[in-house]
Amino acid sequence: MRGADRIAGAGLLVLAISFSVGALTHYAYWSPNGPGPAFLPFWLGVVMAVLALLLLVGALRERDPGEDWLPRGEGLRRLAWVLGLTLALVASLDVVGMVVGTVIFMVMLVRVLDRHPWPTTLAVAFAVAGFNYFVFTRWLRVPLPVGVFGF
Amino acid sequence: MDFLSNLALGFSVALTPFNLLMAVCGVLLGILIGALPGVGPPSGVALLLPLTFGMDPTSGIIMLAALYAGTMYGGTITAVLINTPGESASVVTCLDGHQMALQGRAGPALGIAAIGSFIAGTIGVVLLMLVSPALARWSLSFGPPETFALMLVGLTTVTLLTGENPVKGYISMVLGLMIAMVGFDIISGDARYAFGIPEMMDGIDFLPVAIGLFGLGEVLAGAEAAKGTAVANGRYRLRDVMPSAVDWVRSRWAIARGTVLGFAVGILPGAGPTISTFLAYTLEKKVSKRPEEFGHGAIEGVAAPEAANNAAATGAMVPMLTLGIPGSATTAIMLGGLMMWGLRPGPLLFEKNPQFVWGLIASQYIANVMLLILSTAFIPLFVRALRVPYGILMPIIILFCITGAYSLKNSVWDVGQMLVFGVLGYVMKKLGYSPAALTLALVLGPLAERALRQSLIISDAGAGIFFMRPISAVLTTAALLAVLVPVVRALKSAYRRREAARFGAV
Repeated sequence: MRGADRIAGAGLLVLAISFSVGALTHYAYWSPNGPGPAFLPFWLGVVMAVLALLLLVGALRERDPGEDWLPRGEGLRRLAWVLGLTLALVASLDVVGMVVGTVIFMVMLVRVLDRHPWPTTLAVAFAVAGFNYFVFTRWLRVPLPVGVFGF
Repeated sequence: MDFLSNLALGFSVALTPFNLLMAVCGVLLGILIGALPGVGPPSGVALLLPLTFGMDPTSGIIMLAALYAGTMYGGTITAVLINTPGESASVVTCLDGHQMALQGRAGPALGIAAIGSFIAGTIGVVLLMLVSPALARWSLSFGPPETFALMLVGLTTVTLLTGENPVKGYISMVLGLMIAMVGFDIISGDARYAFGIPEMMDGIDFLPVAIGLFGLGEVLAGAEAAKGTAVANGRYRLRDVMPSAVDWVRSRWAIARGTVLGFAVGILPGAGPTISTFLAYTLEKKVSKRPEEFGHGAIEGVAAPEAANNAAATGAMVPMLTLGIPGSATTAIMLGGLMMWGLRPGPLLFEKNPQFVWGLIASQYIANVMLLILSTAFIPLFVRALRVPYGILMPIIILFCITGAYSLKNSVWDVGQMLVFGVLGYVMKKLGYSPAALTLALVLGPLAERALRQSLIISDAGAGIFFMRPISAVLTTAALLAVLVPVVRALKSAYRRREAARFGAV
């Protein structure tokens, strides 16, 4: 946790300073009829800078490295697999469409990652795809991405 | 008699077949969401909010409020059966509830929780009905300084009460406010921090943020842990879950105390159901004649916190409806929903949209009755739902996160935003930051900024205005105390540690 706090503290400090500086350079701090658009952002940046410094100084003085915070081994593999597939699904939505995308996504996670039997996998995959299609596309008239197959 | 006619109006709205159906769906989904580990009340409400956009706002809020009440009970099922709270308001229930399950008394534990929830929820609605109109009338006199001070109290208390490290809590809150600054400034028209991206000029919508932080964020954390669940076997028919006469006698005052305490805590801006359960448990242990039984299956230890969390969930509606200040992450998301429907929560809501407010109140009565019926009759069904492996549940939740974020504006941009905040939510959860504080700040940010700027415009004394009007002076002082107390406490303990280290060295 100590390492994570150092990184977060430093990152947030940079964010805070650029937030305040950005506010003052681009927008008015005070306008003729009171506080301007830069007023609150500037002070938010200041408060965040103080908080980030507190976090950073605390983490720098801490002697105990604390518990491990980076995902490792099996956990990391599962996390990467789930996150990667989710990103791939979203990126390809306009091509494969929601229905086909849903089925592929479910098969990859339920069958390939978690090794559930094929019948379970397919039943769940089609149930979810069907539910999404009927509730969103038909009932609520949300045009979910259709892709090249037309559904 | 104003009251009765209002309530009659409410029931005429709530008892329409569609609204009745929505209340049933809400309670059922709520119990299910509360029971499934890894989806809590905020993610449930965030995921279902898009479904309600096609509906009339009254039906929408009826479903969401019923869902909120249902989640409070659903979390109990997992707490008792697998010692894993489905959501944070059931953490305390694990202490005695799971002990009871190990002694073969899971049925009565679930039963007393259902009955306690019903009593607390119903009394809570009566109190909601009595308190809200008065509070709404009183708050009509609030000007911008009072509004801002009140938001400050809400933001600081939620930050104070979530998470162990106050610095990380405040960082989460300020980050939420910073995100709220993105987009068109209402007064000057500047598109702040938009970097020329059209989607960002309209600001960062809270819904994809909430779905990401609570829905996807929790799933990612769960995916890493890859936990399996073992459900305690047992019989959960209606006969098996009925508490005995002895159980009832032991629990009735615990339920009464939990209800009053829960409602009072729920009303406070920033303090929600979770904190009320801890207080109720501590109180019961203090007043009990058998404090040594707590932690070893004392039924009061289940009854009191379960009553408290339902009463608090109802109480949290009071500040949301009357003042426009949500008391928890869940009500913050509901408040965002209200604003999306074009309703302005606050004192005027009661005058301008009586059918909405009273329909909601009446439907809460109905939801509580249904909660009692469904939770006692269908426990076997929910127990079976718990056996669904996480590997199957996880992709389903992710797909709901995607469709939910997409359906807001039919745009993939929002889905991308949801993904970004999903990863952020995972990191925040892992490193001890508070997604609840961020969400609350994001929802309140624009309102707070407007109140702050209006206050400073009408002030002759700069920030002094917040201390010159009695109500805002009290509220501002309370907020400052909420900031200072943890700082002083941290400094004190650091000092003590150093002293101890010095003496240790000698």
